[in-house]
Amino acid sequence: MRAINFAHGEYYMLGALVAWTALDRLGWPYPAAVATAVVVLALLGLAVSRLLMERLLVMPFSMAVLATLGVQLALQNGAQLVWGASPKFFGGGWTAPVQVGGVGIVGQQLVIFGAAAVLFAGLAWLVRRTHLGRAMRAVAQNREACEVVGLDVERVARITFTLGVTLAGLAGALVAPILVNVGTTIGLPMVLRCFAIIVLGGVGSVPGALVGGLILGVAESFVAGYLTLQLRDAVGFTVLIAMLIVRPQGLFGVRVRS
Amino acid sequence: MALLAPLAASDYVLHVAVLSFIYLLPALGLNLVYGYAGLLSLATGAFFGIGAYASALLALRLGWPFWLAFPAAGVVCALIAVPMAVPALRLRSYSFVMVTLGFLVISESVAKNWIGLTRGDMGLIDIPRPRLGTTALASVTQLYYLTLITAVLAALAFRAVVRAPAGRALIALRDDETLAEAYGLDTWRFKLAAFVLGALLAGLGGSLYAHYTTVLDPLVFDVFHTLTLMTIVFGGGAGTLGGVLLGTVVFLFVPEALRVTPQWRMVIYGVLLVVFVFRLPGGLGPALARRLAHREAA
Amino acid sequence: MSGGPLLSVRGLAKRYGGVIALDHVDLDVAAGELVGIIGPNGSGKSTLFDCVTGLVAPDAGTVALRGEDVTGRATHALAARGLVRSFQKTAVFGTLSLVDNLVAAGQAQAFGGTLPAFGLGARAARRTAELVDRARGFLDALDLAPLARAPAAAISFGQQKLLQFASCLMSRPALVLLDEPLAGVNPVLIERMAAHIRRANAEAGTTFVIVEHNTDVLLGLCARVIVLARGRVLAAGPPAAVARDARVIEAYLGAPLDDNG
Repeated sequence: MRAINFAHGEYYMLGALVAWTALDRLGWPYPAAVATAVVVLALLGLAVSRLLMERLLVMPFSMAVLATLGVQLALQNGAQLVWGASPKFFGGGWTAPVQVGGVGIVGQQLVIFGAAAVLFAGLAWLVRRTHLGRAMRAVAQNREACEVVGLDVERVARITFTLGVTLAGLAGALVAPILVNVGTTIGLPMVLRCFAIIVLGGVGSVPGALVGGLILGVAESFVAGYLTLQLRDAVGFTVLIAMLIVRPQGLFGVRVRS
Repeated sequence: MALLAPLAASDYVLHVAVLSFIYLLPALGLNLVYGYAGLLSLATGAFFGIGAYASALLALRLGWPFWLAFPAAGVVCALIAVPMAVPALRLRSYSFVMVTLGFLVISESVAKNWIGLTRGDMGLIDIPRPRLGTTALASVTQLYYLTLITAVLAALAFRAVVRAPAGRALIALRDDETLAEAYGLDTWRFKLAAFVLGALLAGLGGSLYAHYTTVLDPLVFDVFHTLTLMTIVFGGGAGTLGGVLLGTVVFLFVPEALRVTPQWRMVIYGVLLVVFVFRLPGGLGPALARRLAHREAA
Repeated sequence: MSGGPLLSVRGLAKRYGGVIALDHVDLDVAAGELVGIIGPNGSGKSTLFDCVTGLVAPDAGTVALRGEDVTGRATHALAARGLVRSFQKTAVFGTLSLVDNLVAAGQAQAFGGTLPAFGLGARAARRTAELVDRARGFLDALDLAPLARAPAAAISFGQQKLLQFASCLMSRPALVLLDEPLAGVNPVLIERMAAHIRRANAEAGTTFVIVEHNTDVLLGLCARVIVLARGRVLAAGPPAAVARDARVIEAYLGAPLDDNG
């Protein structure tokens, strides 16, 4: 959609916290908590889209970015006022250890892996094969031309945005058991990583995001394991900056004529 | 009137005023970069922190007096800004924003991890206050006057740059970069100049911050400062001097003085940012100016 | 200066995806000429300007200014060598006043570089004052003086085109490329602009290359006309001859040029 959404990480954070609320406060089982997170975030995404994001389509770039910064501020701090600043212990999920090929991992990680695989396949299919996906790509390339041919750009934007928010919330709910402690501050580091991944893989490319995510994850783990845990956050950005200097379109991106 | 404030105001209000004067410097720097050159840069906060650390370390490790460390901090930031800006300015707007954000994150990471230099999360303490002769300027009142002077000087310097032909060139390239190029303006050089000057100002502000609070830790790189700066510049009126002054008062002085809790402040900043984008993209300053002009005309 | 052409384009080619915008175009412009370029929409006129001024890198071919190869050089470097162009769409600095627009357009040449532009001394003030004088001269000539202090975004489309036209002349360029300067302008002021062009050409020797659809004015103004169609030079020569050229008439879908077509 060609806008930088700084608030994206907060939807991830809200997914985790809504799931926690369902789990801890309402006593619901984990799968129901995940489903709740998905539904709540979808509704939130729809609301934010109608109230805000769609109107940003016609704004100059820097204004749109500032608006998303505003949303980020409001959401993160609003969440702090609701849930408090201290992290919550997340009790749900399949946290029992599982042996896979001689390596011990946690069951939840298999779930995440499976979900990621399904979602990526679904997203790739959506973007390449469906009418909606073609519409999304068209809007990304030339918004005005789309309006001229009668494509409802706002509706496409709404669906895209809501989908993005829902996925972020789902990710939050799925990753929460692994994080064990979820707090209101987990949004910003995540959205920064997302930027790095998107730039690495190439803006607008789904396989690029997959590859970018894998590369970043591996790089972060290596740095955390062999160098120091503290540097982990900086890895994402070092990679991003290096990529932008060497190959601005990312690994899979296409050079777009502005 | 501002000169007499210490006679009437409480120590706490003076303290908030000092913070506002300090903040004005990086705010002016950001105004130059964003309001005039049109570059959405999140690196101002990074240079604020770098300036703070540079000044503190020069004072603590090398025994430099404040009067040397202060300008040195500005120079250090300007020197770092150049190699950073040269590749970054070639990028398109969204890539540029991300690189500046990355610079902020990496600076924070360096501050946390280069323990030999910065003592990491433990931070630096006992940063010396500025000295006049043999006496240290330690009271709030004295520091109030010091920071008032630096704020006024910074505002005057800012005005000078903006009034110069360079200021016109910056506005031109902000309005239409291709057109400015077509008339022969080397837009890249002007952007670089604005970016470096912005870094210099932010670094000077950071130095003041370090020597005022006398303690420094990696939290100075927290995105909180950058976001407050953006709200000040954008909400007050990017591209105008009065707007930034107004923004500092409205978005920093008032909330701090009222001791509004950080969470509520940030929620309000966030909502205001969004509202301003839609209703007052020029910021409060120009809107007020228009309102006043109407009233005079009526 | 040697006797070679001021501007020399050889084999210029540019394609956008599957569309060939310029198909190996050759053309020369001698110093002091008034050359017109006409052609149906999509014939590559704007692309030609884009490539010559360094806005777009051509796929092939060379552009030479006074014999020096300037292909693909940065736009501002070309402006420094005396080559300025106007844009088809309105292009003004919206938040600057009309006077400031003109001063900004001329200041690169007056100050000769980035660093001097930060100057605060008497010399800078004097140069700025000279620019302001020239600017006011232009505003008077184009009936824009009452709007001198208005932000450029607030004036009408036609007035913005006049402003753009004057801006191009502020730096006393050697070669001016005008991309449809008359479209949307009041007929009375069209005559003023044409008079300005003639005067600048006669007095200062400024060379003009003008793309226009207003063939009446163009054919009356220019000594030589080049016709572009589908990215190629179709015909070139004195206006009368070009107007009668059968290929040109055909390119315009059968309507003879001197029929207000």
